[in-house]
Amino acid sequence: MSARSLVLAIAVTAVMVAVSLVVGRFQAYLITIVAIASIGALALNLLIGACGQISLAQGALLGVGAYAAGNFGNAGLDVFSIVAAGLTAALISALIGLPALRLRGLYFAIASLAAQAILEYLFKTIEPLTHGISGLVIKPMTLFGVPLVTDQGYAALSLVILLITWLFMVWVMRTNIGRAFLVVRESEIVARGMGLDVARTKMYAFLISGFFVGVAGALMGFTNRLANPEAFGLQLSVDYVAMIIVGGIGSWGGSIIGAAFVVLLPELIQRLGEALNIPNILSALREMAFGLLIIIFLIFEPRGLVALIRRLTLKVTGSNAANVGQKDRLEPQSANRRR
Amino acid sequence: MTYALQLAVAGIAVGSVYALIALGIVLIYKCSGVVNFAQGAYAMVGAYLTYALINLGLSAVIAVIVSMAIMAGLGILTERLILRPMLKAPVVAVMMVTLGLLILSQAICLAVWGPDQIAFPALFPAGALEIAGIFMTYNYVATGFLSALLCVTFLAFYRFTPIGLMQRCAADNSRAALAIGIHVSNQVSIAWAMSAALAGLGGTLLATLNGLSLGLADIGLIAFPVIVLGGLSSLGGAFVAGLVLGVLQSFTDGWLTPSLEDFLRAHTRVYSVGALQQVVPYALLVLMLLVRPEGLFGRRGTERV
Repeated sequence: MSARSLVLAIAVTAVMVAVSLVVGRFQAYLITIVAIASIGALALNLLIGACGQISLAQGALLGVGAYAAGNFGNAGLDVFSIVAAGLTAALISALIGLPALRLRGLYFAIASLAAQAILEYLFKTIEPLTHGISGLVIKPMTLFGVPLVTDQGYAALSLVILLITWLFMVWVMRTNIGRAFLVVRESEIVARGMGLDVARTKMYAFLISGFFVGVAGALMGFTNRLANPEAFGLQLSVDYVAMIIVGGIGSWGGSIIGAAFVVLLPELIQRLGEALNIPNILSALREMAFGLLIIIFLIFEPRGLVALIRRLTLKVTGSNAANVGQKDRLEPQSANRRR
Repeated sequence: MTYALQLAVAGIAVGSVYALIALGIVLIYKCSGVVNFAQGAYAMVGAYLTYALINLGLSAVIAVIVSMAIMAGLGILTERLILRPMLKAPVVAVMMVTLGLLILSQAICLAVWGPDQIAFPALFPAGALEIAGIFMTYNYVATGFLSALLCVTFLAFYRFTPIGLMQRCAADNSRAALAIGIHVSNQVSIAWAMSAALAGLGGTLLATLNGLSLGLADIGLIAFPVIVLGGLSSLGGAFVAGLVLGVLQSFTDGWLTPSLEDFLRAHTRVYSVGALQQVVPYALLVLMLLVRPEGLFGRRGTERV
């Protein structure tokens, strides 16, 4: 990342933080959920987009973050409960990743589906930590002793953490580890030929991704003040995969655009429904729009909104600087081949 | 002993429905290389269609057959309209599009029939059969028998008829199949049609056991442990694994859970292990993938055609 874009990212975040501190509660809430979803989507994009490991356990992993943050926060760990939640989720994520050391593509996706089901079951069963179906009530977060109680405060906090996540992702992709992710994604055999430790590289991806998913989950827990098993189902995993597909697989900016899109779409349809006075089929309508959008996007613009925007700006400006026709960043054929 | 047999029979009945759904997924995977997460949606839509047709006044048998025909049509439509444009797309995109289909069809059913569970009209006479002290309601007997019969018929069809042979050719090596004059893309459509119809029937049968609700679509996910256990590319394996998992679930529910809970109550402060039978298949799946990823009956190095 050049110094210019670094300054730009910090400036944008600063402006957003300033805005979020003066807007009303509802707007602050919207900013918070988009920022949290963006953190989760960035983390998932590292795993799927950069390293090529398709995971459907995102929802459960967010749950791990929320429950961990709830328990650590209630125990009085202050702001460090977010870090602790990230570490817990990183650990679980590495466990989920174990089958990926032997499996590729599709098979790992199925294994992560199993992990999702097992974690959901554990959320319901380990009562001492999760309070079962009734859910874990989480106290407001304290920031170095000061309890954080306003929606605006959470919005600002989420934005700052989003900036940190973004910078970390950009930085890590510039290191050798990040480049190793790309090689593993393209071909594990080539990676081995280059002398890379494939298993270790995948583990790094699971640990880093898991950490930030856990952080996002922690923020979810603190903003909702409640973690219950219903909220972290397969549906949530699908939402996150949808975010990075709608936004653009392997693109950081796309993750945020996709997160905003998927999170705000239900709100928008809610508004439309209220305006048109059809509240009873609203939830059906919301899901329908969501399902249709995923299908349409995948058929007509598999590279996501980012590619769409890039092409539109190209049309407007007429320049040919950006690489529009960039090839798919996920390998099409060999991704489900086993060794 | 009687109790164990009772559990085994119930397990086989449910397990053969699992097998029916899993067969469809394996068939689609073999022919088109797509792992269809929307198979549960076919089951659900099939069940709702049967319900709607019976409500229109059709007799049960005709309603089931008509709904299977409609499902076959939907299967072809899915393949032609959604999957064909994505022939060259990355795996994650194809997987996701089927998940999108699942969400869409659940939303449509929600909009049309509402979120509540609906009592499914009785397809089979009420009452129970008693053999050697084992009680089985006609529902279970008929469901188990019908789906097992259908699975076997289907496997035989695949093995012994000309269309089955063409299907196997297309799945085994699509380029060679083209060279000997098999219309591969039609074969792929036939595969989608058959597996959607099978899933529709499976969903209908499951609805006679558990009632009609949007939750029926979950069976598409339970089918994944089945196909991993049997091997993603083995039709016979899916059938056997379906039965095995059905019986395993039934024993977990009827025997392991109570004894485990008794033990925990006696020694710890944990009182319940929850719906253990729902996670046992997934635990088995992870174990299987770690130990023998190709499944019990799969071949090593199976690839997308």
